Amino acid sequence: MTGGYILAVRQVQKAFGGIQAVDRCSLTVFPKSVTGLIGPNGAGKSTLFNVVAGLYRPDGGEIWFDGTRIDGLPPYEIVRLGLTKTWQIPHELKNLTVLENLVVAAKENSGERLFNLLVRPRAVKRDERRWRSRAREVLALTQLEGLANEHAKTLSGGQKKLLELARALMSDPVLVLLDEPVAGVNPTLVASLMDLIDKLRHEGLTFFLIEHDMNVVMNRCDRVIVMHQGRKIADGAPASVKADPAVIESYLGG
Amino acid sequence: MAIDTGFLVNIGFYVSIAIIFAILALGFNLQWGYTGLFNAGIAGFFLIGAYVAAIAITAPAPRVIIGGVTVYPGHLGGFQLPLVVGALLAMVASGTAAALVALPTVRLRADYLAIATLAFAEIVRIFAINLESVTGGTIGIIGIPRPIAFDPPNPFLTMVTIVGLGAAILLAVFLALQFISESPWGRVLRAIREDEEATMALGKNAFRFKLQAFALGGALMGLAGALFAVTLLYLEPSVSFAPSVTFSVWVMVIVGGWGSHRGAIVGAFLIYGLEWLSVQLKDFAPAVLKDSIFYIRLMLIGVLLILLVVYRPEGILPEKKRILR
Repeated sequence: MTGGYILAVRQVQKAFGGIQAVDRCSLTVFPKSVTGLIGPNGAGKSTLFNVVAGLYRPDGGEIWFDGTRIDGLPPYEIVRLGLTKTWQIPHELKNLTVLENLVVAAKENSGERLFNLLVRPRAVKRDERRWRSRAREVLALTQLEGLANEHAKTLSGGQKKLLELARALMSDPVLVLLDEPVAGVNPTLVASLMDLIDKLRHEGLTFFLIEHDMNVVMNRCDRVIVMHQGRKIADGAPASVKADPAVIESYLGG
Repeated sequence: MAIDTGFLVNIGFYVSIAIIFAILALGFNLQWGYTGLFNAGIAGFFLIGAYVAAIAITAPAPRVIIGGVTVYPGHLGGFQLPLVVGALLAMVASGTAAALVALPTVRLRADYLAIATLAFAEIVRIFAINLESVTGGTIGIIGIPRPIAFDPPNPFLTMVTIVGLGAAILLAVFLALQFISESPWGRVLRAIREDEEATMALGKNAFRFKLQAFALGGALMGLAGALFAVTLLYLEPSVSFAPSVTFSVWVMVIVGGWGSHRGAIVGAFLIYGLEWLSVQLKDFAPAVLKDSIFYIRLMLIGVLLILLVVYRPEGILPEKKRILR
C-alpha cells in the first residue's frame, strides 16, 4: 500500500469549526530523504503534522507509515512505531532538567511501569543507565551537553529548538517531523543543525520538515512539497518548485 | 514522680492528627504536586477510608431504642476484623473510588477533574449523613476499638501507641513514595504536570499514568482515614469531612512546597500546628481575644499564604532539581 514511501497521506481532511485546515491533502515522503514542506501561514502545514502524529484525529482520509495504517492511533503508539514530531513552539518540560527532558523521551524504559519497579529492579536500573548514556550522546550531537543539568526553562529560544530535536532522537525514530526546526536559531547553529540532520539521514533516518528559511529549504532538502489552503499544490526538486508559477503566486512572491 | 501526662497527651494528639494530615498531603502531592491533577475532593476519599476501616473493625452496633424513640440508628458492622485488614480495605476502597472518579474526567482539562471531585466529596458526605443503616447517620460510628486496649484504660499509653503507629505508617508511606516517585515512572508524572500534550507526543500513555497517580493518591487518603478512625475512636460526617479539610490540605502542600514529599509533611505539621496552637492559646488569651482567636488563626494562615505566594511561590521545601549522573 505504501509502495516505496515511508509516509503516505491520502485524502486527509481536518476542519476546525468552519475552517477546513487540511482539505483532502495527499502527499508522500520517500525513505532516507530530507523533505521540505512549505506554504503560506495558515496553509495547514502544522495541522497536517499534528494529524500525522496522532495529536489530532483526521476527519477523513488515510495515513500510512512504513506499511502500517496509523490514522486514528493514539500518539504514543505512533511514536512507538518510529514516527516522532517536534513542536513549532518549543514544548520543553520546564521544571525538568535538559537531561531529564531527554531521558523521559526514551523509548521503552522499563522503569516507567510500577510493576517493574517492584518486581524487576535490575532491569529497571540497566535500562535507566543505558538511556542516560544514550541521552548524553544525543546531547553531545546537539551541542547541549554543557546544559545537561539545567532546568529546561532556563534555555534560550534557539537552545529549546535544539532540545526539541534532541528529544525526538531519543525515541529511536525512523521518521522525524520537524516543525520549523531552525526558526530563531542563529546562522552558524543553523548550519551545524542541518549538517547533523544530513548526517542522520545518511544513517537511515527520514526528515520531513516545515520551514520558512528558504536557504534551508532550497539547499538542504531533496524534495519540497508546497501546501496552500489545506492542499498540496506543488511537489518536486527545490529548483522546479521554486520556478512553479502557482508557488510563486501563493507563497514565494514575484 | 508526677509527670503531667495530660500535657503530653495533648501534644500527642497534635502529633497524631498532624500525621494524618501529612498522609493526606502526601496523597495530594502525588496527584497535584507531581502529576498536576487537582483534587478538590480530598475529604471524600478521606471519609471513605475512615468509614470503611471503622465498619470493618468495630463490634456489632445495633439500633438503640429508648421509649420508642430511636436514639442510635446502628450501623453496618460487627466484622471485628484486625486493624491491618481494615486499613487495607480502606486503601482499596478509596483508591478504587479515586480511579472511578478519574476514569471519565482525567482525560479532560484539569478544571473538570476539580469540579467532579468537589462534587464527589459532597455527595459522599451527604450519603454518610443519610445512609443511617450503614453509617450511623449524623451520630456516626462510635466504639471504634483502640489499636491496643490497656486495662485499666491508660490515655497516655494509648496516645503513645497511636503516635508510634502513625509515625511508623508515615515513615513507610514517605519511603515508598520516595521510591516510586523518584523513578522513571515518577519522572513521567512530572513530565505530564509540565506539559501533557508534549509528553504524549514523546510516546507516553498519559492517561495510564494519570489514572495510576490519582488512584494511588486516593488510596493514601483512605489510609489516612483508617488512622483517623482509630485515633478519634468515633466518626461523625458533618465536620470531620467538610470541604474545609480539603482546603487545609491544599494549603499544607502549597506552603510546604509542591512536588516535594518532605515539603508536604512540613506543611501539614506547620498548618495543623497553627490550628492546634490557637486552641491551646484560647485558655491563656486575654478575655478580649478569647472568642476571636480562631479567626486570628485563619487570618494568619491567609497572610502566610499571601506572603509565600509572593516571595516564595515554590514553598518552604521546594521540589529539588534532579541531577542525573
